[in-house]
Amino acid sequence: MKRRDFVRLSVLAAGAPLTIYLPLGVSPARAEAKWKIGFSQVTTIEPWRVQFNKDIEAEAKKHPEVELIITDGEDKTEKQVADVENLIRQEINALLISPKESAGLTGVVEQAIDAKIPVIVLDRNVETDRYAQFIGGDNVVIGRAAGEHAVKLLGGPGAAKGKLVEIWGGLGTQASHDRHDGFHEFTDKEAGIENLLDQQSADWKQAAAYDIMATALRNHEKIDLVYGHNDPMAYGAYLAAKDVGREKEMMFLGVDALPNEGVTWVHNGELTATFLYPTPGAEGLRQAIKLLNGEKIEKKIVLPTMTVTKENADQIMKENGLL
Amino acid sequence: MKLWRTLSATKLYWGLLLLFAIGVVFSPETSSGKNIFLSYGNLTDVLRQVSIIGLAAVGMTTVILIAGIDLSVGSLMAFASVVTGMLLTQEGWTPAATMAVPALAIVAFLIFAGLARFIFTNLARGDEAVGHHETVILDPLRRVWIPLAAGTVAAILAALYAASHVPTKFGVVAVLLVVPALGLLLGALNGIIIVRGRLQPFIVTLAMMVAALGIARLTAGQNSAVLPVYPGSNATADFNNLRSMLWGVAPVPGLFFIAAAIIYGALLRFTAFGRYVYAIGGNEEATRLSGVKVDRVKITVYAFSGMLASIAGVLYVAQYRQGKPDAGAGLELDAIAAVVIGGTSLMGGRGSIAGTIVGVLIFGLLSNILQLHNINSNLQLVLKGLIIVVTVLVQERNLDGLFGSWSFKGQDRKAQAGSAAIQPGKSKESS
Repeated sequence: MKRRDFVRLSVLAAGAPLTIYLPLGVSPARAEAKWKIGFSQVTTIEPWRVQFNKDIEAEAKKHPEVELIITDGEDKTEKQVADVENLIRQEINALLISPKESAGLTGVVEQAIDAKIPVIVLDRNVETDRYAQFIGGDNVVIGRAAGEHAVKLLGGPGAAKGKLVEIWGGLGTQASHDRHDGFHEFTDKEAGIENLLDQQSADWKQAAAYDIMATALRNHEKIDLVYGHNDPMAYGAYLAAKDVGREKEMMFLGVDALPNEGVTWVHNGELTATFLYPTPGAEGLRQAIKLLNGEKIEKKIVLPTMTVTKENADQIMKENGLL
Repeated sequence: MKLWRTLSATKLYWGLLLLFAIGVVFSPETSSGKNIFLSYGNLTDVLRQVSIIGLAAVGMTTVILIAGIDLSVGSLMAFASVVTGMLLTQEGWTPAATMAVPALAIVAFLIFAGLARFIFTNLARGDEAVGHHETVILDPLRRVWIPLAAGTVAAILAALYAASHVPTKFGVVAVLLVVPALGLLLGALNGIIIVRGRLQPFIVTLAMMVAALGIARLTAGQNSAVLPVYPGSNATADFNNLRSMLWGVAPVPGLFFIAAAIIYGALLRFTAFGRYVYAIGGNEEATRLSGVKVDRVKITVYAFSGMLASIAGVLYVAQYRQGKPDAGAGLELDAIAAVVIGGTSLMGGRGSIAGTIVGVLIFGLLSNILQLHNINSNLQLVLKGLIIVVTVLVQERNLDGLFGSWSFKGQDRKAQAGSAAIQPGKSKESS
């Protein structure tokens, strides 16, 4: 009796995964796929990463000769390393990876290269130069674009005047420093621009940015422009101003330009402009295909930014099926 | 009939065997028609991937056997990884740390002398009653050693202070001596507070989990930075040996896990110490009344748990080339899960290391199979939850572990005050 129960339960234990496997199909290798490309993503929780995956999937649809395998590292180094090991065992033809950390993923990237799999590194680099290519955005360039735009909004080079609130993402993160430095290359030249805050960080979060802005609004009777190191922080600052009825007297600039966040807020007139921090997904896949077809590819590609204002926000949203 | 007994003793493994069979049958194939799941490389990948959870789970098994819990293993693992990273790279060394390390090395040596003696005397004496001092690993620190050790430490500190330069980088052997000793001490601290303060293990180890995370972050310095073990440093070459395959056959971290499991399994199965552990889990008060030094056994168990977590931390650095203060997030839960899947009861007194090995492998194989099929990662989580529950359902009907466990059913229940009467399940098929 007990034995039978045991067997029955064992079958159930075995059956559970199968019932879910079967409808999904037991992934027979797609005959028409000429290339098998693996993409190891860090996490699929953050909005920017979600967009990243959307971009690479959209690009993959345009290439029927490619089978794209996306893994999710669940924001853990060990999971991402296991993912890549797993992809190596599946004998992929090329590996795209967006590492969680430089050091933590270097070993397994080298392992892939040793297994004759070309590696294209996206967004954050690893500590070896044996990869085929690195693709990423440049936060200094983005900061410059934002700084130039801010000067233009406040009266143009040489004549710009205004009081400025800047909300940092994190005082210890390179991205935040780059976005600050690029921005100030332009604004610091203007004698008329006054910085109201000294390195206030909201840790990339909307709620914390709201609090910083609420304090700034109490302390300063006049604020002309708010620059948030990402869109949610700029939006949080906007909400703080709105809650005291002062949102009309100032402008808000953000960074990232995700279609369902920053672009939508610009479209609604809540943010004045946002600057694209591009995801390297689509470009990465295109480059991998080029490489597999035997073409030469560059060692490093820096993705350009784009200024999103009321003029082009609608079009971006249409492209992403939001309008 | 005998065949059936053999089978029933190994019932525990059915879930694992089934999972393995599923893996083989449904494995995707490479373009050349090779079965990916069965490929040697893939199976050794799995063994390496589970090594960290595995080590933590081995220590956790005994803690749970005495009806305790150790929530601090994740933080201790991370702290160990940070210390390892520092020792290897000299990153962020302060003069104080520079002087503390040789002192710690001496203490480590003494502790391991005690540890070795503890294991050997216990294994040599087997089931016989042992003198109380053999159940204490911190023993050498308690006698003539103390003045001797203090003198040596003082001499070394003085020399260092005079020279005031950083010692040469640590090699693998030194790290494997110092870091586990540190973990052993912190684990022992857990045990001492639990025993002397008569507090719930949950609370004490939770406090240690939080505190050790803080210490790890402080040690790592600003922004809880990652400490990369730089490529090109001697340490990396050494440490590559720790993540590589031994003679091309088996991954070294996996061997660490297996070795720890075998040693600890033997301690539990064949020694008085092991019987005390089961007895405490079964009925702590009765065990205490029968003259067993319960407190010392408990402290030893927590100390071992801390030590194994620290070894996991060293292996973390070897595999990921970095020490990270938040490396161990969620490790304690994974370890507890592996132990429970392996049939060890959270109530204590019932379970085995063999079961834990099975639990850990089920964990690893499950992740591996799901990932090979490239199933959506969110669905993977759902499936994992489902399969864990089903597996434990299966095992709740099966109370025989391998490394000597017992159930409180039928003739075993000779409820005598001295539970020394209770024999571990005599299954001859062990090991």
